[in-house]
Amino acid sequence: MGAFVGLIKKDLTVALRRKETFVSMVFFAILILFIMNMAIGMGEKISPDMAAGILWVAVLFSSISGLGSTFSMEKTNRCIDGLLISPVHSATVFLAKMTVNLAFLSLAEMIIVPLFLVLYGNHVQSLHLSLLLIILLLNLGLTSIGTLISGITAGSRRNDVLLPILLFPVITPLIAFTIKATGALFAGAPFQEYAPWLKLTAAFALIFSTAGYFLFEHVLREN
Amino acid sequence: MSRIRPIGLLSSVSIALFALSIYYVLLVVPVEREMGIVQKIFYLHVPMAITGFIFFFLAFLFSIFYLKRQNRKWDIFAASSVEIGLLLTTLVLITGSIWARPIWNTWWTWDPRLTATFILWLIYSAYLILRLSVDNEGKRAVFCAVMAIVGFVDVPIVFLSARIWRSIHPVVVKTRSIAIEPKMGIALLLFMAAFISLGAILLWLRTSLSIFEGKLLSLEKQGGN
Repeated sequence: MGAFVGLIKKDLTVALRRKETFVSMVFFAILILFIMNMAIGMGEKISPDMAAGILWVAVLFSSISGLGSTFSMEKTNRCIDGLLISPVHSATVFLAKMTVNLAFLSLAEMIIVPLFLVLYGNHVQSLHLSLLLIILLLNLGLTSIGTLISGITAGSRRNDVLLPILLFPVITPLIAFTIKATGALFAGAPFQEYAPWLKLTAAFALIFSTAGYFLFEHVLREN
Repeated sequence: MSRIRPIGLLSSVSIALFALSIYYVLLVVPVEREMGIVQKIFYLHVPMAITGFIFFFLAFLFSIFYLKRQNRKWDIFAASSVEIGLLLTTLVLITGSIWARPIWNTWWTWDPRLTATFILWLIYSAYLILRLSVDNEGKRAVFCAVMAIVGFVDVPIVFLSARIWRSIHPVVVKTRSIAIEPKMGIALLLFMAAFISLGAILLWLRTSLSIFEGKLLSLEKQGGN
């Protein structure tokens, strides 16, 4: 447990000293929200499902730069060797990295989601606090598989290009569930109506956290 | 005395099976009443889909073996299985489109089964892109094994997500359930056997090619310039 907290502290310290990752995450999302708004056109009405789609596309794209830096920062000066020789179980490293990614993604969303509501507010018919639950479940699913795959791409020649190529096909179900749930919420449907989608999102997060927990050992060793 | 190699025997069996299947489908099986002659593409389409899926499952198994044993052989087997599975899935998408054009009046719709197959195709294409992007052999084997496992674990979720979509959304085009006539069933089974034998041959050839490639590379390294 001490090692887990230590790893998180280390990563947070590094990330706070070099703010560019976080800033670029948020900035990228703002750009996508802006471009999508131009694509819709002035005065056009879009469905709640489509509004939900725009929100999660923006979040998904911006999460890439956060996930990509998880390991690339370990590679400068071969810091990762220190991680590898330390007597910490690789599963602990995985959970620590996933937690840090989760924290940063949530932090970025604290800016992105309100901004989305400002820019697209007239397309959203209804809001409910369970949006926070949807966000949390999406974040868990996205960071579980994202942390594992970012470990893979960090060991390749083309980290930044490869990460979305490998990640996007695998998480299409997760994004589909989340968009459906959010669309229903935006349309003002009661919680029971989109609860099944949330269960599936939770199942996705559970499956890929487990997969990461067991497979990360192999990935980490090769970095 | 020339000895009979197992691969030669298997190839002869496969050729015979394909010849028999094609003969059976074209001349014995009756023409479907509603869809007409186009329906016959199903006897290729369905067995290819099932065989492709079998090979993705094999890739998943071989990848687990690799992570357990760290034997290079299993990595080659997994990569070859993915290639064959992807080839068959590509053909499934193409034959499906050819069928859909006259029957559904469109090359492509976002029907759940089509969507799920397409996502599957994307996942395993990404696997092959990953293979091209890592130079170190041991590293590539481990990364690809992890990716093949993750991809296959994702398959049930992909199919589930596609099916649930259908229950909530009205279906624009519905797959017509075909009352299987005995002869049609036999045709499907024949093609199934033919494609499995073809897959086995391809797996054999592809893996032995990769093994020779590895030997050649290590010889070149020893020789130096």
